[in-house]
Amino acid sequence: MMQSSTLNARRIIIWIGRLVLAGIFVYAGYAKLTMGMHPRPSIGVALSFFALQVDSYQILPTWGVNFVAHTLPFAEIVLGLLLLLGVGLRIWATLITLIMLGFFAAVVRSYALGLQINCGCFATPEPLTIKTVFRDGALVALALVMTIFAFLEARNPHPWSAPEKA
Amino acid sequence: MEVFSDYQCPACKTLFTTTNRRLMDDYVTSGKVYLIHRDFPLPMHAHSRVAARYARAAAQLGKVEPVEQALFQNQEKWEQSGDVDGTVAAILSPAEMAKVRALVKGGTLDAAIDKDYAQGQTYRVNQTPTTVFHSRGQTYPYPGVMTYEILKQFLDQLLSHK
Repeated sequence: MMQSSTLNARRIIIWIGRLVLAGIFVYAGYAKLTMGMHPRPSIGVALSFFALQVDSYQILPTWGVNFVAHTLPFAEIVLGLLLLLGVGLRIWATLITLIMLGFFAAVVRSYALGLQINCGCFATPEPLTIKTVFRDGALVALALVMTIFAFLEARNPHPWSAPEKA
Repeated sequence: MEVFSDYQCPACKTLFTTTNRRLMDDYVTSGKVYLIHRDFPLPMHAHSRVAARYARAAAQLGKVEPVEQALFQNQEKWEQSGDVDGTVAAILSPAEMAKVRALVKGGTLDAAIDKDYAQGQTYRVNQTPTTVFHSRGQTYPYPGVMTYEILKQFLDQLLSHK
C-alpha cells in the first residue's frame, strides 16, 4: 500500500524538506545581498560586509573568506530554487545537505570555542547562541532525512511519474 | 566608524592592537575614515569603568592615544591588580597625572561614559567590541573582531560609493 499510494509520510517529509530548505536558502541568499536595507546597498558593499562575518568564524584564510563570501549568497538562491523545482532532486538535496553540514560544523565549532560572533546566516545581526546550534541541527536533520527519502523514493517512483530509464 | 569598546575586554584589546592601529595609519590619518571611540564598559568587568574614566581624563589633556595604548597593552596586569592609576601614571608626566587624577576624582566623566553607553544601546550593542559603520545614511553594526585585510575591503567598497 505504501508504494502505490500517491501521498505517504515519506513524500510529505520530502515536500516539507523541499519547501522549508528552499525557502530558507533563497531567503538567506537574498538577505545577504540586500542586508535587509532600504535602499539596498550595492552588491559590493553587501558582499564585503558578509566577508567580515565569514571571517569572524576564524576558519578560512583571506582568499577562502572572499571565495565563500562572493559565491555563497548566489549559490544559496540557485540551490534553493532548484530544490523547489525538484528536477534532479537527489543532486540538489545532497548538495544542500552537505552545505548544511558545513554550516552546522562551523556553528558548533564557534560555539564550543566561545567565539562571540554573529551567525551571519541572514546577514543581519544575530548573535551565535545555543539557539543557533539547535536550529541548524534541526535543519541538518531535516536535510538528511529529505535526502535519504529522496533516494528511497527514486527506487519506488510516484505512480504518476514516468518510470526512470535504466 | 564608532567603536564601542571596553578596556577590560580581551577582544577589544585584539581589535585595538591588530586592526585599529593599522586602520589609523591607513585610513584615519589621511582623513578617509573618522574613527570614534565609544565607551561601553560592561558591568561584568570590575575595572573597565575606572579605566574609561582615566582614558577620558587623558583625552582632555590630548593624551588619549598613549593612555589607550597603555591600558590595552597592560590589560592583564591591571585587570588582576585593579591598578589602573599606576598603569596610566607610568606613561604620563607627574604634572599630567595630577590633572588626570583631579578629573577622575571630579566625578564629571561618568556622564560622558553613560552617554556613550546609551548611544550603544540605541544600536542594540550587547557585546564588545562592536563597530558601527556609517556611510551614506546607512548604518552597519558589526560585533566582534575584524581582520584588517577583510575590513579594508569593506571600507574600500564603502568609500568607492561616496
